Amino acid sequence: MEILGDLTFLNIYTLAELEVGEHFLWKIGNFTIHGQVFLNSWIVIGLLVIASLAATRNIQKVPRGIQNFMEFVLEFIRDLVRNQIGEKEYRDWVPFIGTLFLFIFVSNWSGALVPWKLIELPAGELAAPTNDINTTVALALLTSLAYFYAGLKKKGLGYFKHYIEPTPVLLPIAILEDFTKPLSLSFRLFGNILADELVVAVLVLLVPLLIPLPVMALGLFTSAIQALVFATLAGAYIHEALEDHHD
Amino acid sequence: MFDFDATLPLMAVQFLLLTALLNAVFYKPLMKVLDEREDFLRSGDTGSKDKLAKAESIVQEYERQIAEARRESQSLVQKAQAEAKEITATKVAAAQQEVQSQREAATQEIEQQKASAFATLEQQVDSLSRQILEKILDPELIK
Repeated sequence: MEILGDLTFLNIYTLAELEVGEHFLWKIGNFTIHGQVFLNSWIVIGLLVIASLAATRNIQKVPRGIQNFMEFVLEFIRDLVRNQIGEKEYRDWVPFIGTLFLFIFVSNWSGALVPWKLIELPAGELAAPTNDINTTVALALLTSLAYFYAGLKKKGLGYFKHYIEPTPVLLPIAILEDFTKPLSLSFRLFGNILADELVVAVLVLLVPLLIPLPVMALGLFTSAIQALVFATLAGAYIHEALEDHHD
Repeated sequence: MFDFDATLPLMAVQFLLLTALLNAVFYKPLMKVLDEREDFLRSGDTGSKDKLAKAESIVQEYERQIAEARRESQSLVQKAQAEAKEITATKVAAAQQEVQSQREAATQEIEQQKASAFATLEQQVDSLSRQILEKILDPELIK
C-alpha cells in the first residue's frame, strides 16, 4: 500500500496523496490505539451530543428550529426500528439502533464532507472513523452481543433452541450465521467507506478539478445508504432473536 | 489495513457510553415529548368529537322547534281563513236578506200606489166621461 504514496512524486503539484494503512499511533501501556480514529470519533460524538443538548435544552410542545429537526430525526429512527422489530418491543431498542445509525451516518458524512487533509497530523490523516476496520468490527460485535442479549433476555436458555429448529440438520449453518452476521456487517461498512474515500482520493490525484465532484456526491449517497443498511440489519437481527418460533 | 489493536474494544466501550449519553439527553426526553404530543392530539380529537355531537344535538333541537312553529303558524292561518269565510258568509246572508225585504217593501208600496191610482182614476171616471160627452155632443143634448 505504500506504493500508492509514491505515485505523488509523479504529480508536480502534489494536490493530493494517498495514505492507506498509516496510523497516528498512541500508546497506552502495552497497547497501541489509532489516534486519528479516536480524534475524529470525538468530533462526531461532540456533534451528536451538542445537537441533542440544543434540541432538548428548552423543550416545547410546538417544536421549532433544532428541536423540530431532531424530532424529525428521532421519528425517522423510531419508524426504522419499529418496522424491523415490531410495535411491541421496539421501544427498548431505539437508543441502540438509533445511535448506530447516527454515529455511522455522521461519521461517514464527516469523512466525505470535511476536508480533514487541512489539519496536519504527525502520521496518518483524519478521516471517517468508519473507514477503520476496528470501528466497524466493534460496532458489528456489539450488534451480535445485542441480539444474543435480546434473545436470552426474552427466552432464557430456550433461545438456543432456534439452532436446532425446525431441524437439527441446519445446525452448522445456524452456527455459521452467528459468525457471518458481524463479518458481513463490519466488512460491508468498512469496504464501502474506505473504497469511496480511495476512489475520491485517486480521482483527485489524477484530475484535480470538477471530475471527482460527481463521485463525491455518489459517496455522500452511499455513506447514507450504508448507515441505513447497518441500522436496518441490526434491527432485523434483533427482531429475529426476539421472534417466537412456536407460533 | 487489517491491523486490529486496542482501538476495537475502546471504540466499543466508547460507543456504549455514547448510547447511554444519547439515551439520557436525546432519546428519552424527545420520545417523551412525542408521546405526550400524541396523547394531547388524541384527547383533543375526542374533545372535538364531543363538541361536534353537542352542536349536532343543538341543531336537531332547533330544527324540531322550527318545525313546531311552522305547524302552529299553519294551523293559525287555517283557523283565520275559516273564520274569515264564516264572517263573509253571514255578512252575505244578511245583505241578501235585507235586499229581499227592501224589494218586498218596494213591491208593496208600488202595489199600494197602483191601487190608490186606480181608485182616483175610478173616481174621476164619471166626470171625465161627462167631459168627453160634452165635447163630442151638444151640451144641450145632455141635459
